[in-house]
Amino acid sequence: MSGVLVVAEARRGELRDVSLELISAALSVKDQAGGRVAVAVIDQQPDRFVDQLAVDGVDEVLLVPTPTEHFEAHVAGRALTELIAAESPSLVLLGFTIDSLGFAPAVAAKQGLGFASDAISLGWDGGPIVARGAYGDKLVSELEFPGKETTVVLLRAGGFEPAQAGGAAPATRTVELSLDGVAKTEHLGFQEAESADVDITKSEFLLSIGRGVEDKDNIPRFEELAEKLGATLSSSRPLVDAGWMPSARQVGQSGKTVKPRVYLALGISGAVQHLAGMRTAETIIAVNTDPEAPIFGVATYGAVADMFELADELEQQF
Amino acid sequence: MKIVVPVKQVAALDDEFELLDDGSGVDPDFLEFDLNEWDAFSLEVALQLREASDDGSEVVAVTVGDEESEEALLSCLAKGADRAVRVSDDDLATDDPLTVARVLAAAVERESADLVLCGVQSSDAVNGATGVALAGYLDLPHVAVVKALEHENGSVVVDRELEGGLVERLRIGLPALLTIQTGINQPRYANLRAIKQAREKPLDVVEAGELGLDQDALAAAAGSRRRGLSPPDRGEGAEMMSGGVDEMAARIAEIVRERMSG
Amino acid sequence: MLAVLASVKTRDVFWHFVPWLKVVWYVLAVGSVFVFAYGVARPLVKHRRGKGGPWPPVPWRELPGRLAGGLRLLLSHRTIGRRSHAVGWAHRGIFYGWIVLFAGTVVLGFETDFTDPVFGWKYFHGNFYLGYKEALNVFGTALVAGVLVMMVRRALHPPRLDYDRPDRAPDDPQFDRRTYRVGDWVFVGTLLVIALTGFVLEGVRIAMSTPGYGGTQFGGWIIAQALTGVSAPVLAGLRHGLWWFHGLLAIVFVAAIPYTKAAHMLTSYVSLSLRDPLAGKRLRAIPPERASEPAGYGTLADFSPLHLLHLDACTKCGRCHVACPANATGRPLSPRDVVLELREQSNNAFSSVGIGGVLGALVDGQADGGGFKTSVIGEDGVRTETVWSCMQCNACVEACPVGIEQAPIINQLRRRLVEEGELDPNLQSTLQVIHKSGNSFGENKRRRGRWAKELDFEIPDARKQPVDVLWFVGDYASFDPRSQQISQGLARLLHQAGVDFGILYDGERNSGNDVRRVGEEGLFETLAEQNIDTLSGCEFDRIITTDPHSLNTLRNEYPALGGSWRVAHHTTLLLELLREGKLEPARALGHRVTYHDPCHLGRFNGEYDNPRRILELLGCTLVEMPRNRDNSFCCGAGGGRIWIPDKPGQERPSENRIHEAVSLPDIQYFVVACPKDVTMYEDAIKTSGNADHIELRELTELVAEALVPAGEPVGAGG
Repeated sequence: MSGVLVVAEARRGELRDVSLELISAALSVKDQAGGRVAVAVIDQQPDRFVDQLAVDGVDEVLLVPTPTEHFEAHVAGRALTELIAAESPSLVLLGFTIDSLGFAPAVAAKQGLGFASDAISLGWDGGPIVARGAYGDKLVSELEFPGKETTVVLLRAGGFEPAQAGGAAPATRTVELSLDGVAKTEHLGFQEAESADVDITKSEFLLSIGRGVEDKDNIPRFEELAEKLGATLSSSRPLVDAGWMPSARQVGQSGKTVKPRVYLALGISGAVQHLAGMRTAETIIAVNTDPEAPIFGVATYGAVADMFELADELEQQF
Repeated sequence: MKIVVPVKQVAALDDEFELLDDGSGVDPDFLEFDLNEWDAFSLEVALQLREASDDGSEVVAVTVGDEESEEALLSCLAKGADRAVRVSDDDLATDDPLTVARVLAAAVERESADLVLCGVQSSDAVNGATGVALAGYLDLPHVAVVKALEHENGSVVVDRELEGGLVERLRIGLPALLTIQTGINQPRYANLRAIKQAREKPLDVVEAGELGLDQDALAAAAGSRRRGLSPPDRGEGAEMMSGGVDEMAARIAEIVRERMSG
Repeated sequence: MLAVLASVKTRDVFWHFVPWLKVVWYVLAVGSVFVFAYGVARPLVKHRRGKGGPWPPVPWRELPGRLAGGLRLLLSHRTIGRRSHAVGWAHRGIFYGWIVLFAGTVVLGFETDFTDPVFGWKYFHGNFYLGYKEALNVFGTALVAGVLVMMVRRALHPPRLDYDRPDRAPDDPQFDRRTYRVGDWVFVGTLLVIALTGFVLEGVRIAMSTPGYGGTQFGGWIIAQALTGVSAPVLAGLRHGLWWFHGLLAIVFVAAIPYTKAAHMLTSYVSLSLRDPLAGKRLRAIPPERASEPAGYGTLADFSPLHLLHLDACTKCGRCHVACPANATGRPLSPRDVVLELREQSNNAFSSVGIGGVLGALVDGQADGGGFKTSVIGEDGVRTETVWSCMQCNACVEACPVGIEQAPIINQLRRRLVEEGELDPNLQSTLQVIHKSGNSFGENKRRRGRWAKELDFEIPDARKQPVDVLWFVGDYASFDPRSQQISQGLARLLHQAGVDFGILYDGERNSGNDVRRVGEEGLFETLAEQNIDTLSGCEFDRIITTDPHSLNTLRNEYPALGGSWRVAHHTTLLLELLREGKLEPARALGHRVTYHDPCHLGRFNGEYDNPRRILELLGCTLVEMPRNRDNSFCCGAGGGRIWIPDKPGQERPSENRIHEAVSLPDIQYFVVACPKDVTMYEDAIKTSGNADHIELRELTELVAEALVPAGEPVGAGG
């Protein structure tokens, strides 16, 4: 039992960025873990990503062709189970992503593996150790996996610099598994986010609003403010859940990850899932009535104020 | 149709809290308990499915925890769940998703459910893993992070919410396990009269031992062990502005101009 | 001379009548009485279809006293004249005019149909007749005058008599209640025509007989003069025609009383007699026998018989419509329209019940609910946004001249909506937060007493040691940063005055007043039980509250749950301390201020004067706003509205109130005595753009200011 197995993630023919972060993380513990890092690509045409995975230090890319065109949780689960059986890694790294959440916990449960979800850092002390948030990220819990020959860790995106591809072409090996008939779901189609008229990830200045707006009818006021400021309006999840904002404008773990120059957050308290999507913004200005709001923990500047009053005053400034 | 809804009584930590002296956890005085936000949505899905069907569907809420966690079940019963089951084991490490899933599996197995509906994650632990781990133990087909659902005889069509607002539509046959995302519906309000009356509804309490789970089995199931708990390294935190709202607004305008022009 | 003349003076009732005409007349008259009696029986049966309360609503033995009390109110017209003297006098004219004319007809009929045929005794002549004619003339004139005043008011079209519904869009067919307007005109018109034809009839009679006493019947005499020269046959024909016209109209009118606007003659009296002095101030608990049913009013069958009677008692006068802060600020609620909507529903639901049904129900008790089982709330009924617009400020109940309980009825509708989960998501989460943490701020309960930690003396924990005064602080005064300062100020004043007082720290819960007014009865009970439990374990002489809402529920609602204590507002205690010299103003402040009566202190608990006396003792000049004391205007926080976001762009009641205050000349301070008012009005002063014109002061702050000699900074002391 040794080495790290990274499970790369692809969607609709594109490798997802988190895959390169996972490789960075794997390389950071490569030596302690037994000196070997393999990257598995589970996809209908796994070889199409090999170039993008040419990172120095990656020993091998395992190509696992699937009969399904798109990600299918049960197919991915069976593939992972068999890869672990065949490769015996001591650590398996996946992204803390929707796809991984759909199969990795089931594999870990059924195979009796070590398991940690939403890990924010990775270390080694005789075996892998990870840190993850507890009580809504108010505390950090450190986990170990005694007695586990293989441990599956889902790593939160944004914690590691993505590895740079462009190294020597890695060794590849195709792993043929019998995956026919494993799928339990039938893919019926994709649906883009409604009114994807705007790409908030492209904006340099985001005005982001949260629960503090209190009512759907208050939204236009902030649309006007954003326009006046020259900002793009985005929001936290609750407003999307309530149907007040289109999901294309949602920032966070289940929305978009944004890196604008300025992120101005009004009435957003800063749930973990939201912070995951915006903490890499260059400058974060947070306005909230609650001085204890977690968003002030990641913000560059904070103001304890009522978002409506502040909006009025801010309007005067532009 | 029988629908089982595993729920969790989550703990919200007060802004000012103290750790236990041995660092193994938080002084419980500083915790406030409530039904997990995600579970309110999954329960609502179950109740709406039952209300839409006329075949005498049953909704069963299940939790793992101590007596305090019955509050979460009472709230489910008040909203309309037909009965509830609590698996009690005070020694359970309930922050390990695999352990919880193992215990739930033993309890849910007895129900032979057509549909198991979990919340995507709990607001305190944020593993997002318990539901799918439960599906692993039960060998149930599953879909995680469902934001819309439609029941057609024998199968459900679900929308799986992917990152960035992308949605994948899938069909999955029953029995199955789904983890339900917030926003899928508008959970109903459990009024206090209903909560009081819910005490009359059936609520079974079983020990993990009665489900054939001894300490060894639970220890083997555990996915991890906690080494310690510590306050996060928050960095410097924000530079807090002072003065009136007008002054703050002026300062914000200044920062914005400076950063956007640079 | 007069006596001689009087001895022959009388008139022939059935002048030149052929016998069959007399028979026709009697048949019609008796028929009218039957129609009337049936019209009275119907609502009796209808109201008892309500299963939500007892009938009668008071014990039988209390009924005579209640009916006598109702009679006193009716005769004095106190409730009608209260907000409008002109209307009061006009209604008195109509009321007494109608009573005397009606009584006059009965007196006449008594001779014609009873004393004469049975005993051969006639009293309808001579001085009695002359006095009778005088009285009828005077009261007939009063009736005509009253009706004319009412007609002029209607013609001027004041908003309260405009029946357009704020809960319906103008293009909605139900928006325009034209039929009500027509009905009103027919009602006052009929009264006028009956009265006038009476006068004309008299005039014709005089003109025909030209009796010498004509001059004393001034009404008829004037008309007689106008008829001079008209030939006798024409006059005779006119007299016959008018007699029948007047008579038939009167008969039809009597028969129509229970079926038309005139029904209020009967229903309003009963409603006034059964009036609950604590209506709205103490909401009724769910009766134990209905504990297993859904709470509140979802269908007419859920109503109490008293509330169904209230629906029929409404005279559509519109005083509640005008007093309502929701209506005044453009929200889709008029208490009157709620009552009328429900009344229409109850009439429609009962319309299929015929004579057999009514008689059967009178004999056998109650038939089943029938149409009373359909939901009263919905797009076509009372809309949910209407129910949630209410601030439960009781202005409607206070204004109602006939004792209708608009706010408690709306509260019952809310109870059902809460039961069915039809509530604003923000409100829903606030209620959950109150359930979980015991306060509406969602703060950990240990933080309730934190404001007290910043004082340089310790406030005793009333759970651990006996105190004279137990201060029930309330959520806002405990958690809201602005109100915390006021709480600290009050604590310093009490400390300085040597008052032995304590607080409950984390033992206190939200008092539940507003939770109950939201309609979350179960949560109210839970909170009240917890507070009563805690208070029962403490030793104290009396409770003071900062929050008038807490005051109300502790004083008026906790007793029914087993918690009876003396409860006073902090303004009462401050006044005592000022009068006893325990707090001595060092200077007269000399501010020009206006004072806002909090609904729950003033209207709910009748405490108007203590805050005003304090202002006087502090040397402030009080300038009253037009809407003051029992007509005070709600700040918009009541009934849980503080937890429901307002629609943007809509005027808030608090802003409306600030406009009222700043329209007074040179007011420095807007003085309040309620922590919710502090929050609402500080905000409204800013949002209405009046921050430069007026400032908010809680009364406690002015007391503290006055204790400091001129020139020294306030707030540094003690």
